[in-house]
Amino acid sequence: EDTERINSADVAVVQERRRLLEEWLAWRKSMEEEAAEERAALGLPADPVADLLKAKTAELAAGEEEKIIE
Amino acid sequence: MRPILLSGHERALTQIKYNRDGDLIFSVSKDQQICVWFAHNGERLGTYHGHVGAIWTVDVDPTSTIIASGSADNTIRLWDIKSGKCLKTWEFPTAVKRVEFNEDGTKLLGVTEKRMGHLGTIVVLDIKVDVDAEQTDEKELTIVCDESKATVAGWSYLSKYIIAGHEDGSVSQYDGKTGDLIYNIPIHELNMAITDLQWSPDRTYFITASKDKTSKLITASELEVLKTYVADTPLNSATITTKKDFVVLGGGQAAMDVTRTSARQGKFEARFYHKIFEDEIGRVRGHFGPLNTVAADPTGKGYASGGEDGYVRVHQFDKGYFDFMYEVERERQNRLA
Repeated sequence: EDTERINSADVAVVQERRRLLEEWLAWRKSMEEEAAEERAALGLPADPVADLLKAKTAELAAGEEEKIIE
Repeated sequence: MRPILLSGHERALTQIKYNRDGDLIFSVSKDQQICVWFAHNGERLGTYHGHVGAIWTVDVDPTSTIIASGSADNTIRLWDIKSGKCLKTWEFPTAVKRVEFNEDGTKLLGVTEKRMGHLGTIVVLDIKVDVDAEQTDEKELTIVCDESKATVAGWSYLSKYIIAGHEDGSVSQYDGKTGDLIYNIPIHELNMAITDLQWSPDRTYFITASKDKTSKLITASELEVLKTYVADTPLNSATITTKKDFVVLGGGQAAMDVTRTSARQGKFEARFYHKIFEDEIGRVRGHFGPLNTVAADPTGKGYASGGEDGYVRVHQFDKGYFDFMYEVERERQNRLA
């Protein structure tokens, strides 16, 4: 009987965690979609930093080339 | 999880920041120094000289080109990461307690201290992420906090909102463009100051730390409290890990606030909680005083803590950390596999 009670308590805990995990993942999904839509509506790139990093890398590469020419 | 000890600061740490790639760590302290370190081996790359007061805050732009710092010398300074040169100094009537770049590094906010004759403010500066560019003298925006001073603040996704944590335990949401107050909500216990505010990678939600011994996970758009992490000591800092769904909290009672030594035992630990389930899952010891600042490596490989003891401790997570999973998480992973 004790074992049964413990088991059902464990089951309840696991079920609650399962619910929390599902709830969290559902919220993340809707929030990510909402943010992506807003970004697109404003005509902004999906990743705000990717282009900046690309530009910086290009600039650094150009700098290297200049040095080689010298 | 053997830490690397960064010893270079002579007084209490105030803030630590990783750059986006997680390879550099910036640390500031009451000793008026800004240090930059290699995250993987703890080697000090350099220091940035110029401030003449305790430095409260530092941030690095998303391309790791410039850093901003705020100090008790009433200035915000902008620095070239590579050369160590100070690019710009803005002066204010009071100390600067927090600075933060927005998601693309084009704006910087600063939180200024309240002092007789001066209300606390949040200022916004336009930034050019270019070490050769002329930076503007003008403030684009000044938000005056006439109810309760802001202690911390940051930029949401799309720079849509400025979110501030206040001395009275409330959290405000301001319009990121106009500075208009949209919401002010009592989130933490009344008059228990909010000591830290750090973002999720996409800046749609954030974590607070408070003197009320709790930390909360809150949405940027609605200021809805999603999760609460309960500790047994006043908290100074909280950070969200990537790769794993954890949060790390740091705090501890300052020695002068503790009457009995025994009450202080075992409280100078970084506490790990499960972000979704809110359970405490582990602690990391090491500091000899309260943890003033914790920061998670954005690439998920480790975290760093800065203490009242003057040390920065950098931890690289081991296999056990990455393997740790709740039954329901494993279940889900197996289902997806």
